[in-house]
Formats: sequence, structure tokens, C-alpha cells
Amino acid sequence: MSLQVNVKDLLSNLYHNRGVVELLFGQRDHITVNELLGRDDISEEQYRKLVALDILYEYENVVSLNDAVVAMFEDFMEIGEVTPGFINDYINELKRHIKFYQEAREMRFLRSIKKYLKRINSTLTREIIKLQKNVDDTYKNESNYRIKLQKLEDYREKRDTIIEFIKQTNLIVDETRILFNITNDTELFGIVSALKISLIENLDFLIEIQTDITDFINKIQYQLDVYKKAQRLKEVKDHGTLHFKTNFREIVSNINTLKHNGHKTPKTKIPIDFLYSDDGHVLCKRIAEKYKITRLMVRGLADKMAGNFKDKGVEQQIKLDTEKLVERFLAQTKLNLFEYLIDYKFPKTIGTVSFEERLSLFVEIAMEYQNNLDFKYRLQYHDYIEAVTNLKKRLGYTLILPLKEKAKKEKATK
Amino acid sequence: MEENSFNLPKQTHDIFAVMARGAFISSNGSRDGMNRLYDVINNPENFDRLQAYFNVIRYNIERGNNFFYFSKLSEPNSELEKKLERFERYIDIIDLFASMDNKIGIGSRFRPSEIAEECNANVRLKQKLQKIPLYRSETLHNKVREICDLMSRDSFLELEDEKSESYKVLDSYNYLLDVINSVAIYEDSGSTSDDAQGIIYN
Repeated sequence: MSLQVNVKDLLSNLYHNRGVVELLFGQRDHITVNELLGRDDISEEQYRKLVALDILYEYENVVSLNDAVVAMFEDFMEIGEVTPGFINDYINELKRHIKFYQEAREMRFLRSIKKYLKRINSTLTREIIKLQKNVDDTYKNESNYRIKLQKLEDYREKRDTIIEFIKQTNLIVDETRILFNITNDTELFGIVSALKISLIENLDFLIEIQTDITDFINKIQYQLDVYKKAQRLKEVKDHGTLHFKTNFREIVSNINTLKHNGHKTPKTKIPIDFLYSDDGHVLCKRIAEKYKITRLMVRGLADKMAGNFKDKGVEQQIKLDTEKLVERFLAQTKLNLFEYLIDYKFPKTIGTVSFEERLSLFVEIAMEYQNNLDFKYRLQYHDYIEAVTNLKKRLGYTLILPLKEKAKKEKATK
Repeated sequence: MEENSFNLPKQTHDIFAVMARGAFISSNGSRDGMNRLYDVINNPENFDRLQAYFNVIRYNIERGNNFFYFSKLSEPNSELEKKLERFERYIDIIDLFASMDNKIGIGSRFRPSEIAEECNANVRLKQKLQKIPLYRSETLHNKVREICDLMSRDSFLELEDEKSESYKVLDSYNYLLDVINSVAIYEDSGSTSDDAQGIIYN
């Protein structure tokens, strides 16, 4: 057994393995060695070290934390079993030191007296908080009835013990008042008056806890009584006399719950409009399949919208813009239609317009607006590099110019 | 929204949906936000408003020890025979629960396999279980499962964890206990109950 003499070492060991310590504290008595070593945060070597340092214990393959460590955490967190015995020890120590002080008025005894008074105060409060938590916990979580009752009775006893200690402490404080007055120590006065206040407070708490315990015990007793009654009813029932020897019939006939009176959940009809919706269609289809009605299966759902739905929208926009585009083209005289379209800077919102798209626009405009255009029936050539194959290509196109005003009129008269 | 004009809590619909099905709302139920619904009804302001609102459509909220349920106003309670049958079955079930070593009470958690196990080990319990009518299941385990299923459909139990099949007893179980407690047994003058305090027969 290697001793942990150094606080720093102990702390650093705990800190290094804080994950493991937390786990073991949270799930006492459940973790096996294999489970623990299966975790990422501890290696076999580290584990051996902790065992060697007495921080961990291993018993029949179950790992547990050192009791001292557990007790320390429990004390800080004010959980764990109620142990009023400590208070008794402190009271005895207090008495002893008071006796010493009466013999010889020395500071070291007075210091101990102060220490124990403070300890009694904090321990009392802590124990009472623990008591309350445990009572609550026992009532809610203990599954075995007899153990539950027994535990609650035990807590009642512990409560009485604590009350006894409070009385004792009160007595000591009263008896030694004169002695304390002689010391003329302000710190001691402070401690004593704080203790007195908290003693009164704690008594109040304990009374409350007492009512809680009584309440819980009564509730459990009630359930036990009812269970006993149920067993007797069952007996009566087995004898076939349930309806004659009890008022079972009457009681049951007065029962007013919906469930037991055959009240059904209100049912609603499906609105016709709903059937025309997509959800309604799915419903219809299911019913049609169930009853094999082909008539209902005919109408299908609208197809899913294509993924490039938005891009199509853009094309649409270009088409819609063609009229404006043609107007602009007609307003200028410098360029022919092809050159105009190839170099035209489309608005950014449309995005990039590819060469092919520009070509198809050219064809479209040539066909749709032929009345406004001057077809020269001459070929011009356009050199470009095809994007995909990287080949040099030459494209021939008809020269199309905006129609001059004069020519327009001529055309119109024709 | 009507909810605003009546100043009703926004969970009103959920509350109605649960209770109109004939189910109980228990304070310790956790499925579908049951405990939240309980808190909503338990708020005195909400309770009065909800009560007034549901009374219009002839539903009455009944309050029990940590649970709520609906009753129908001014409608004769019907189906006495069915009701009798049902509550006789509840007696069987509660009698079984009462005879277990680990008494099942409000807030208890248990698995059907545990009960089946105990019934298997104890002849009296086994007999009790086998005599509970209406179940077709062969094995003890399946029978207990069916009982649990039935009790949770009546919202007295809650299937807390489907994987481990663990059930929790809800506060509405109090309702059954209250019903049983209110049944009076007419004693033959000779044999009065002198075993009133202490141990339950097991």
C-alpha cells in the first residue's frame, strides 16, 4: 500500500483521470474492469497505477473508487447517506475542549472550541439537507415496499437523533454563556450567534421533513391498505359473491370515465376539397388499393418538378426579353444582327449566355421579326473555337441589318 | 384564432385529443409531453378556462390525485355489463400486482419478464396469473405482456423504454386504487376484519 502523502500528487492524479473518476462516482458498483478499460480515456498502465495508488479498488472484477474520495465528493455535494453520528463526535469534542478551557484559559483550547462550534453548525445543516433529499428519493425511487417503509422509518429516527443533537448543542451554548462572555472574543460571539440562528432554522426544517415523512408513509400505507382490499375483493370474487356481498355493482355503475362508458372519440368526415389536394390523392390511392377500385387510381400526382427548374426560368426570361432586345438592335445602325448578339452584354441576373444560346436567339429573332429586319442575302463568316473539342471552326451567317425607315414604308406598302 | 378569444392555453387541442380518447393525463407520464399537459391543466387559471370551454361541449374535466380525465356531462353512463367485466378484470390484475414480492405501486418501474419470472417461481402467483381471463397467450411472459399492454392502453402504465420493455406506473393508477377502496364489503356479522393492520398476505 503506497501512501498518498502529497496533496498535489493526489489532486493531479485525480485530475488526470477525471473522466474515469466522474464515471465511477456516477455509477458506483456497476463498472467492471473490462468496461473501464474499454473506454478511450484510460490505458491498462494508467489503471494499474491508479490501483497501486489506492485511488481505485478492484473486487471480483468490479472497479470502485476509494471510499475516502467518494466521501469527499459526497460531502461537498451534500448527497449520500445521512450520518448524524458525526455531530455526536463533534459535540463530545466540544464538551472536552470546554472542560480543558475551564481548567486552563489557553488560546489553543478556545481555537478548538470555535472550530467545533463551526463544524457542528455546518454539519447539522448538511445532514438536514441530505435527510430531505434522501427522504424524497426513497419515496420516489425505492421499488420494494417493505424496504421503502423501513427506510422512511429509519429516516424518522435519524431526524429524532438530529433534533436531540440540536437540543444538546443549545444546552451547551447556554451553559457556557458566562464562560464565553469572559473570553470577550468577538469572533466567538459571532460564531455562537450564527449557530443559534441556524439551530432554530434547522428545527423548522426538521419539522417540515417530519410532515413529509409522515405524508409519504401514509401514502404508502394507503396503497398497502388498498392492495389488501384488492386481495380480499379477489377472494370474494373467487367465491362468486362479488355482486352480492359488496356494492361493487353500484360503484362501477357510477364510474364516469369516458373510456369505461363506451364514449368514442368524436369522428369527423373528410372535407371534399381535401380529396382534390395532393395529400387527399395519396389517401384516395391507398383506399383504392385496399378495395381494388381502379376508378380512383386513374388520376395521378403531378410529376416532380425538374431539378433545373430555375434554369428553365432563365431561358424563359431571355425569350421574354427578345422584344426589347430587337428594339435596341433596331435603334442602332453600326452592327449587323449576328455581331450584335454575339457581343451583347446581357444583364448579370441572367448569367452567362453561351455561344449556342446566342445562335438560337439569332435564329429566333430572324424568324419572328423578319418584317422589321433587312435581309441582305449575303454570307459573312465568323471564326471561333469550339469550347468542347477545342477545334477552330468557321460559321457562315446571313447578314441582317435593321430596316431603314424608308425601306420599312416600302415594305409595308407592298 | 379562437384560442386567443377564449384565452385558452395553446395545448388545448392536445389535451382534448388525449382525454377525449378516454385516456388519463398523469403528472408523472413522460410520453408525448404528458407531464407538460398535466402542468398546463393543473394551473388554476387554465383549469377554470378549460373546464368552462369543455363544459360547452358537455365534457367535464375530473381531477384526481395527480391525474385528470374527462367525464360526459348529463349523459347516462351506459354499458354496465361491460364496465363490470372490465373492473372485475382490474381486480384480478391489481390482486396480482398486490401479491408480488416487489409491490408495484405508483412510480414503480418494472419489466414484464420480471413479473413472469416471479410468477414462475411462486405457485400461487402462477395460478393467479393463469386464471386472469380473456388472454389467449400461452406463455406466462406473453400473458404478463398482454396485461401490461392492456394497462398502458388504458393509460395506467406507460411503456417507458421499448428496447428493454420497461413500464412505469402512472399516477392514474390511483384511480383504480380509489375505486377499489370505495367498494364496501358487507361482512357476515361473525368474521370481522381483525387483520386490518400489518402484513399483506402474500
